[in-house]
Amino acid sequence: MQVVIMGCGRTGLALATRFDAEGDQVTVIELDDEVRVRLPSGFRGRFVAGNGITPRVLERAAIADAEAFVALTPNDSANIVAARTARDRYRVPRVIARLHDPVHGPVYGEFGIATVGSVQTTVNRVVQMLHHLTLEPHQTFGSGETLLVRSRVPDYLAGRQISELYVPGEIGVVEVTSAGHSRVPEPSTQLRHGDVVSFIVAAGSLGRLRSFLDGTWS
Amino acid sequence: MMRIIVVGGAGLAEQVATALEMAGDEVTVIDTDPGRESALARAGLRAVRGDPTVPATLEAAGAHRTDVLIAGSRSDETNLVVSLLAKKHFAIPRVIGRVNNSANEDLFGDAWGVDALVSPSTAVVSLVRPPA
Repeated sequence: MQVVIMGCGRTGLALATRFDAEGDQVTVIELDDEVRVRLPSGFRGRFVAGNGITPRVLERAAIADAEAFVALTPNDSANIVAARTARDRYRVPRVIARLHDPVHGPVYGEFGIATVGSVQTTVNRVVQMLHHLTLEPHQTFGSGETLLVRSRVPDYLAGRQISELYVPGEIGVVEVTSAGHSRVPEPSTQLRHGDVVSFIVAAGSLGRLRSFLDGTWS
Repeated sequence: MMRIIVVGGAGLAEQVATALEMAGDEVTVIDTDPGRESALARAGLRAVRGDPTVPATLEAAGAHRTDVLIAGSRSDETNLVVSLLAKKHFAIPRVIGRVNNSANEDLFGDAWGVDALVSPSTAVVSLVRPPA
């Protein structure tokens, strides 16, 4: 994959190093030319000094040939301008921008740019680690707004139908493992003793799911 | 009389805002300079503090009923995001963007909601070497 990374701070450097090690063709765009020396020896990618919102700087990074563009500078506005320019002007198919201040989230959404938000991801993760010790997520999506959680069903739910576990907009059931065999359940599938269920759950509804599984949900 | 929002701080934005106010327009400045609110207030300008790339700040400055917005900060990325919000979110009829780095000039157009641009370096160059 050809990937252009704008911003070579801690995250940009780690990402560039990782992509390079995995055999991808990496170009880093960084305002500060002296940062070049932080790239690991043996790095096969390219380094372009300049501001990644400027079209001719993006062109020096061969943006039109890139399959992915990731904007990781500390400046939210620069990230969104560069990401949107990469997508709309240079037709880069996959574009991601970092979001530092969650207050800018709605604007990124309005402009149609996918984001990774360090603050929101950390907040969601800490809350979830401290509040929901028994429900370890297997996977989180977006900035942690939804999670995939697996749990053994409590005995009091044996004999009930999968459809009784659904809460629209909050909790869904995507998979059931019964006696070692996994399947995608029907709404009418009956739960049995010892079944392990994979839930997709909104971060704000983890407490509800937990009290549900504890049998304390009225 | 027009209702005008000027985004920026000391220098160009403040002087433009002052001149328009003296010409009889109703001007609100979204002040992007730290600690300059009192200076803008002393100049008789209505000033709003806050991040101009957040819709709530533009709304507090009256973006829903403004005729013209001038994105005149010293940051091209700020001016572009503000211009697009002004056009897409608030449907402001006329949006004017300030270009700080002339290499960014061709971003200031329809794609970012800019109706007209002001590029000081390009203006000076065209006075010395008029376009052929």
